[in-house]
Amino acid sequence: MIRLHGVSLVYPNGTRALDDVDLEIEKGSFVFLVGHSGTGKSSLLKLLYREELPSGGEVVVDGVRVDTLRRGKVPKLRRNIGVVFQDFKLLSHKTVWENVAFALQVTGTRTRDVMRMVPRALDLVGLSHKSRMFPSELSGGEQQRAAIARALVGNPKLLLCDEPTGNLDPSNTTEIMELLQRINLKGTTVVVATHNQAVVDRMRRRVVRLEHGRILHDDERGYYFRGLGQTAVLPG
Amino acid sequence: MDWGRLRFFLGEVLTNFTRNAGMQFTAIGTVAVTIVLLGAFLYVRETIQTFGTGVLSQIEIAVYLKDDVDDAKAKELASKLAGDSRVASASYVPKREGLKRMKAVLKDIDTSLLTTNPLPNMYKVRVKDPDSVQNVAAWIAKDPRVAKADYAADTVQKLLKTAAVLGRAGIALIALLSISAAIVIANTIRLTVFARRREIAIMQLVGATNMYIRMPFIAEGMLAGVLGAAVAIGVLALAEHQVVPKLAATLAFVTFRVNESTLSVELLAVGAAVGLIASWVSVGRYLRT
Repeated sequence: MIRLHGVSLVYPNGTRALDDVDLEIEKGSFVFLVGHSGTGKSSLLKLLYREELPSGGEVVVDGVRVDTLRRGKVPKLRRNIGVVFQDFKLLSHKTVWENVAFALQVTGTRTRDVMRMVPRALDLVGLSHKSRMFPSELSGGEQQRAAIARALVGNPKLLLCDEPTGNLDPSNTTEIMELLQRINLKGTTVVVATHNQAVVDRMRRRVVRLEHGRILHDDERGYYFRGLGQTAVLPG
Repeated sequence: MDWGRLRFFLGEVLTNFTRNAGMQFTAIGTVAVTIVLLGAFLYVRETIQTFGTGVLSQIEIAVYLKDDVDDAKAKELASKLAGDSRVASASYVPKREGLKRMKAVLKDIDTSLLTTNPLPNMYKVRVKDPDSVQNVAAWIAKDPRVAKADYAADTVQKLLKTAAVLGRAGIALIALLSISAAIVIANTIRLTVFARRREIAIMQLVGATNMYIRMPFIAEGMLAGVLGAAVAIGVLALAEHQVVPKLAATLAFVTFRVNESTLSVELLAVGAAVGLIASWVSVGRYLRT
């Protein structure tokens, strides 16, 4: 689903966000990207939906070379990728229903399909009963579920989550993670960038740990730190 | 046709337009002021041009024939004049007729002392295109039967020059005014783009094309331009209603015959075009990331 080969990313101000990263993520898998803030987690996600272009290396998403993709083709790529953020990015003047429908409407989906797809997405995240409410009337967890519904309404193959629980309390965090797991079980590839150790350690999924723009370790059924509670050892 | 999609689009344009009402009001106001100036200028220019063309079309070349040219020979000249494509009309005024007309004009002066007719036979020639007066007069003057071909050279020169200057100044002024209106609209759109940066970011995130993102802003810019032009047309109509009758009373020789509907359409088109270009440019700059 995702293949990064020798990818580096240097921002114009000289910050080296990613340094020679190789990474492969299988279709249908669930992967945590972990590390302190500023270690390149968000940058890596941004490369996948082409918010950023790599300074070097290859980025392939679902068979598409993202790093050399023409600007005109970017919208089509993004319709295949759902993205969820820490701050939800909902539109405050639109209801939950309108926020979710917005993603379809602005990509030219027929009204008939919008009417069919929005309820399904709201049902999936369990917000059908609050579809007429505005984001300000929802709890943080509900807002994030609305955002997930918006990310998923177009049936993307890949869901990217950048600190999805960063603004949530523990019980909402658990709910959201369960939701993401459910989504993954339906076949969507899910990549979650987080620095929430408890979440990662509880879920026991693949963990890719970044530090200073490099992959420090990459474990199936891993922990936030390699070896529970231990400080990581530099490889090689 | 998917009415739901159309309704969504129009709804987006309308909510954004009303949400940024303050800024839109400024933009509409500026466009209105600009277009009032533009419209007033075009009105004055057209009036002057109509006036000028009217005067020029009445310009006559007075062709005085030599004394030895009798009526028969004069008739030969008539066919030569009528044969020229630049000549609109040539009417023959024999000396008897000339004297009669002069007596009619000078009816308070005793002309009975005149024992002979001092006037020459003459032609009054009108040309089709005022620009060619000079050439036609020179061409006629070369004819051996003609003593002199006269026209109001000064007046013609001045009018032609004024028309040319007005034409050039007009283009410059129109360009300047349009540019200033465009800059104001561009700034307003830039502010509305900025106010909607979250929506734009989300649209880009979920894969809306740049063209789609651009459309509502362009519709918004054009709406501002057209509304501004409409306000301006209203103001101009009111001004015309109030001012022109008074002017017409004072300047009786000027005819105020401007084609208002054409002018209105032109101004609306200018407003729409200015809005279109301005918003296109300012959104484009934002989308180029």
